[in-house]
Amino acid sequence: MQFTFDEDQRLAAQSLRDLLDDLCTGADLRRAAESRDAASFKAACATRRERIKELGFDAALVPEAQGGLGLRPVDLVLLAEEAGRAALPEPLVETAGVALPLLASLAALDPRADAVLQAAIGGAGIALRWPDSDLVVGIDTSDFVLTADSETSLALYSVDQFELVARESVDPLRRLTQLRARAVEPIAVSRDASIPSLWREARRYAAVFDAAQLIGLADRMNVLAVAYSLERKQFGKAIGANQAVKHQLANVQIKIEFARPVVYSAAGSLGGGLSPPTDMDARWLEARVAHAAIAARDAADLAARTAIQVHGAMGYSWELDLQFYAKRSWALSGLHGGRSAHFRSLHEALMQQRIELGPDQLFGRSLPRGA
Amino acid sequence: MSIELQYTVKQRALRQEVREWLQTNVPKTPLASYDTAEGFEAHRQWERTLHSGRWSMVTWPEKFGGRGLDLIEWLIFEEEYYRADAPGRVNQNGVFLFGPTLMEYGTDEQKARFLPRLASGEDIWAQVWSEPQAGSDLAALRSTAIRDGDHYVVNGHKIWSTRAVFADWGFALFRTDPASERHRGLSYIVFPLDTPGVRVRGIPQLDGEAGFAEIFFEDARIPVTNLIGTEGQGWSIAMATAGFERGLMLRSPARFQRTAQRLVELARRAQSDADPGLLASVTQCWMDAEAYALSTYMTASHLMSGGSIGAEASLNKVFWSELDLNMHRAAVSLLGARAELRDRLGESAQEDLREAMRWMDGFLFSLAGPIYAGANEIQRNIIAERVLGMPKV
Repeated sequence: MQFTFDEDQRLAAQSLRDLLDDLCTGADLRRAAESRDAASFKAACATRRERIKELGFDAALVPEAQGGLGLRPVDLVLLAEEAGRAALPEPLVETAGVALPLLASLAALDPRADAVLQAAIGGAGIALRWPDSDLVVGIDTSDFVLTADSETSLALYSVDQFELVARESVDPLRRLTQLRARAVEPIAVSRDASIPSLWREARRYAAVFDAAQLIGLADRMNVLAVAYSLERKQFGKAIGANQAVKHQLANVQIKIEFARPVVYSAAGSLGGGLSPPTDMDARWLEARVAHAAIAARDAADLAARTAIQVHGAMGYSWELDLQFYAKRSWALSGLHGGRSAHFRSLHEALMQQRIELGPDQLFGRSLPRGA
Repeated sequence: MSIELQYTVKQRALRQEVREWLQTNVPKTPLASYDTAEGFEAHRQWERTLHSGRWSMVTWPEKFGGRGLDLIEWLIFEEEYYRADAPGRVNQNGVFLFGPTLMEYGTDEQKARFLPRLASGEDIWAQVWSEPQAGSDLAALRSTAIRDGDHYVVNGHKIWSTRAVFADWGFALFRTDPASERHRGLSYIVFPLDTPGVRVRGIPQLDGEAGFAEIFFEDARIPVTNLIGTEGQGWSIAMATAGFERGLMLRSPARFQRTAQRLVELARRAQSDADPGLLASVTQCWMDAEAYALSTYMTASHLMSGGSIGAEASLNKVFWSELDLNMHRAAVSLLGARAELRDRLGESAQEDLREAMRWMDGFLFSLAGPIYAGANEIQRNIIAERVLGMPKV
């Protein structure tokens, strides 16, 4: 039992943070957000995109035998938090955390996907369209699309096999595209019996990495609110000297700090050969992932509302960079059914006795069965 | 090593050992409240039983009657302890507050004098800090301990001392320099509660039991060998104790996980009648209890790998105290009219009425959580000022 990150994990996160502190500032985000068209948006992000590719995180979760780094999901969770903290426009987390591991699984079933996997490890962009959505993120930097019409299959297409319709998000930095299928053959496809569980695993990964991004976003918003409360003076003193303001920001910090361990433990329980061996363990894992999704959303929601309130009228203005972090948190919060779907699944599991309760059940079964 | 969320073979074996010992030794019927004379002695006897199995002070070094368990092992012990519904720790202030303080600041002679008797339940300890005019603003305290040869002569008035009605010893803060102000000139001194010149008067709590007391000192003479640390060091020692109290040790997560488990079980039985919003609040409570436990595991791992905690302890205190209150509010709501009954008839009546009384008792006690160990308003100030770097008023 060890619940702290190691030096390598911290250093990787720090290297991403350093890079984003330089290349993903509020001014950088504003330049991209205010770009007139897709081409100028892409140009505004080009340098950063290249530098991030150079860090080589994309193939983090791809098994070593397939040319990846063979890391565990928990190795990526702090990077996802950093991407959130910077409201990074590039889909680093979606690519490295979900799309590439899923592509690697497909390549193991259909060798035709392997060439694309190798291209992706080399820098080609892979977008992911979930079976229950027709929207994808970041298509303008993608070459291939991984998708399915239902969770019983998994297919790989080239981007130019679709008709693309640009859509706008509340988050000006999230480049959404609606895909309209044409009747064409996929590059690779599988309908293997394991596909539904691959999609379920991909959803768990997405939920946990989105949660980690939300933690980073919440933390950034509270940092901005604290800084503004020290700078803004009314009645002859910084507004942050008032208990009414201090206590609100303290409440946000409490929400963040008690969401963090839930998200980290969910990440620590994913993948890495620890596929749940029994039904009960699978339900336990689903519950932990749902909890992470809920806790991170609640922290980000409170952080956004509080930060806007503490900024006063400034908080309601386009001019303030805070909007980029708040809007990203709102966009991410609605994904995969949002809080409501996660809460409902967790609530039903609890009320219908599908998970075991008690102080000894924190990490699933604490003693061998029968003990 | 990276995050590894599985127990080792050794940790599983410890859990098994604790579970078996508790199965044999935990009293089959609940003990009377330790805020009654009879219940206090029954709980002291339980401390002796724990000590006989060397389970009373599991994190203490073996030479003081402990087992030298690390923090993760302590969490496992606590999980089993609450899982077994073992009695509350009447010596909690000694176990978790005074003991750790003494190990850090006491002389070898003082450790030998106090720790074994603490571990065996021979001495039950009470905290003696607050005064009528010095609660949240503890540094405003005025009780004095003036040196006279080998003794301090103590005068003043302390209040809100938990367990002091039946306890044996108190650990206190007095002003040893009468000209001093605020946090300077304070000293940490321990004394037997039956010292001549010390008068203890119980104060009934919300539940009617004298769970805390006020203490009057009239020229009480306390030997200077009972000074912990040095004269004038009292404030920094007391703040170290406050850190233990707000931080990891005083409220182990298992306590809240066990309550959350009982709450979910209550909600499962009531779900066909209860409103969905109330049931949702039960799920929220369960999540928060899990989050508190996970946070504690993370802190324990952090400390075991050489880290430290400071003002972050205030985050914990706010979180668990409000969690405890929310769980009991939800339970009382689920119970409806049954929650009201508190007569002695109920005690011998059917199981579900006893359970209802237990929830109401817990609800009353949970109202104290956001107040004691530093009111939550003070904790939020500490979080804002020392964690977030906001200005003092």
